[in-house]
Amino acid sequence: MDRTVEVKFLSASIGRAFRKFFRSGSGKMAFTGAVILIIFLLAAVFAEQIAPYDPTVRSGKAFLSPNSEHIFGTDNLGRDMFSRVLYGSRIALLIAFIAVLIAAAVGIPLGLLSGYVGGPLDRVLVLIMDAVYSFPGLILAIAVAAVLGTGVINIAVSIAVVYAPTYFRVIRNQVSSIKSELYVEAAKAIGAKNWTILLRYVLPNVLPSVVVVLSMNLADAIMVEAGLSFLGLGIAPPTPDWGYDLSNGQRFILMNDWWMIMFPGLAIIVLVLGFSLFSEGLNEYLNPNVGERE
Amino acid sequence: MSLKTYIIARILLAVPMVLILLTVVFVIMRVIPGDPVLTLLGGKAPIEVIEAKRHELGLDKPIIVQYGEYLLNLFKGDLGKSLLTERPIIEELGDRLPATVELTIMGFIIALVIGIFWGVEAARRHDTAFDLSARVYSIFIYSVPVFWLGMVFQLVFGVWLKWLPVAGRIPPLMEPKHITGMYLFDALLTANWDSAREALRHLILPSVTLGLVISSVFVRMVRGNMVLSLSQDFVKAARARGIKERAVVYRHALKNAMVPIMTVLGLQLALLFAGAVLTETTFSWPGIGTYLIQKIRYRDFMAVQGAIVIYALIVVTLSIVVDIVNAWIDPRIRY
Repeated sequence: MDRTVEVKFLSASIGRAFRKFFRSGSGKMAFTGAVILIIFLLAAVFAEQIAPYDPTVRSGKAFLSPNSEHIFGTDNLGRDMFSRVLYGSRIALLIAFIAVLIAAAVGIPLGLLSGYVGGPLDRVLVLIMDAVYSFPGLILAIAVAAVLGTGVINIAVSIAVVYAPTYFRVIRNQVSSIKSELYVEAAKAIGAKNWTILLRYVLPNVLPSVVVVLSMNLADAIMVEAGLSFLGLGIAPPTPDWGYDLSNGQRFILMNDWWMIMFPGLAIIVLVLGFSLFSEGLNEYLNPNVGERE
Repeated sequence: MSLKTYIIARILLAVPMVLILLTVVFVIMRVIPGDPVLTLLGGKAPIEVIEAKRHELGLDKPIIVQYGEYLLNLFKGDLGKSLLTERPIIEELGDRLPATVELTIMGFIIALVIGIFWGVEAARRHDTAFDLSARVYSIFIYSVPVFWLGMVFQLVFGVWLKWLPVAGRIPPLMEPKHITGMYLFDALLTANWDSAREALRHLILPSVTLGLVISSVFVRMVRGNMVLSLSQDFVKAARARGIKERAVVYRHALKNAMVPIMTVLGLQLALLFAGAVLTETTFSWPGIGTYLIQKIRYRDFMAVQGAIVIYALIVVTLSIVVDIVNAWIDPRIRY
């Protein structure tokens, strides 16, 4: 085929795929999610430029309800709530991303190994991972966070412990079915090494589901992080953190300080919603008819 | 396989699971942190005092011996003593357990009612606005932190409307006679209406909060399985025989959809208990969740370990119960 024709053909089919994606309900869902995520990412990156005040020092009277100078009001120490919510997206996204990366870095290789090798190793790993998976995630994270103590990495590790089994399960189950596909047989027949088969033939085929699990886990990780810091097991104050701000706001709830709990809470909801819509839409688009029953 | 053999097999299968969970808890609580005594007494305590305490708790023994003793004591129902109050941890947890059970049962019932009605009705009206509302609801409520929802309820119903109390289980001196420790239940059993009303008033906000957040998964599960169930031949057959639509949906279709729902339900119970920890903290509900958090603040790691072990045992027990109920409903599972 002529090169220009080839390029034209390629761009047309990509265009068609995109149009189809955006017309479908799941595509719209994923797109809405992506827009929300981009807004939060920008807010986190440019927090210094956008925030009107330093989030950790007094910038007005304490307990001001929302007004033109402090659009989200101020907290009990006179700190600007809008700036705190804005900076809070940094910690939330940072910890969630690190946590999910650690979980994937542990869960994916173990899943590949377990599914490909099979046998007693597989059975033992499945048993362990299933046990951890069945345990209430937040409570496990609380236990780990309690012994590790505060700090970004420690909290990320506590959350990662909860989600590593998710990757393990997804990858392991796919690998053990891919293992018996013809192209793997063929690769074996031409004498490919096990490592080559795993990395070149198996891994690329399981990656799409990793993307879906990844963005679903980010939503959960943000929830768990907020929960941990609400319980006092998160980042040490005065670093702006939504969960901490919520527990701080709750202390004054009888004084009707609704703005101190409303805005950090809404921030969590919208960000988690962004991740959920994105992963849900993507999942439905990639595997229609799957996931309905779960 | 008879139901009896199934039950025995299922319980035997749970043994390695329990052992693994207990080992995970041991590794987290004893191997990672180093020394609970040092954290409890602080770095400034004299060496002799630390050594004595360590010896008393058996922490000077090799880790593998400690592990053996930990399992042996658990088997005997001994979770050790609280480093702080010196009371047996099992007793302290026993005092707290009814509050958690009361809250989770009520939350579970609320979630189940919302899940079944909204899920079933959405499936009946598949691909309509009502169906969409169920999907939007379940995605939205999944994104709401349970403690934030609790605070909003405290603000609206406690502070603004002043209808309901925002903390605790019952006003002082109104506790009903102790039977199960679940105040509402005990008060109803002893016909103590004043206590029952107060217990209910305190229970409403926490249990509705927990129930709403958990209902997300329920609505989604019921809807998905009902869509499948309603499209099957036996539903057509039932309609053709002139059975009333309500009976077709709720008796024939729902019954068949319940089996996969129950299976997934076993896993969702973990979500219920995790949500309960946050709900308890939000509403100062004196259950195991608040116990766990308090003990973490006091660095009483023996008690923290005990609380986590109890959660593990509860979750495993409930998953066995769910499986047995499933096998009873659907004999096919036993084979």
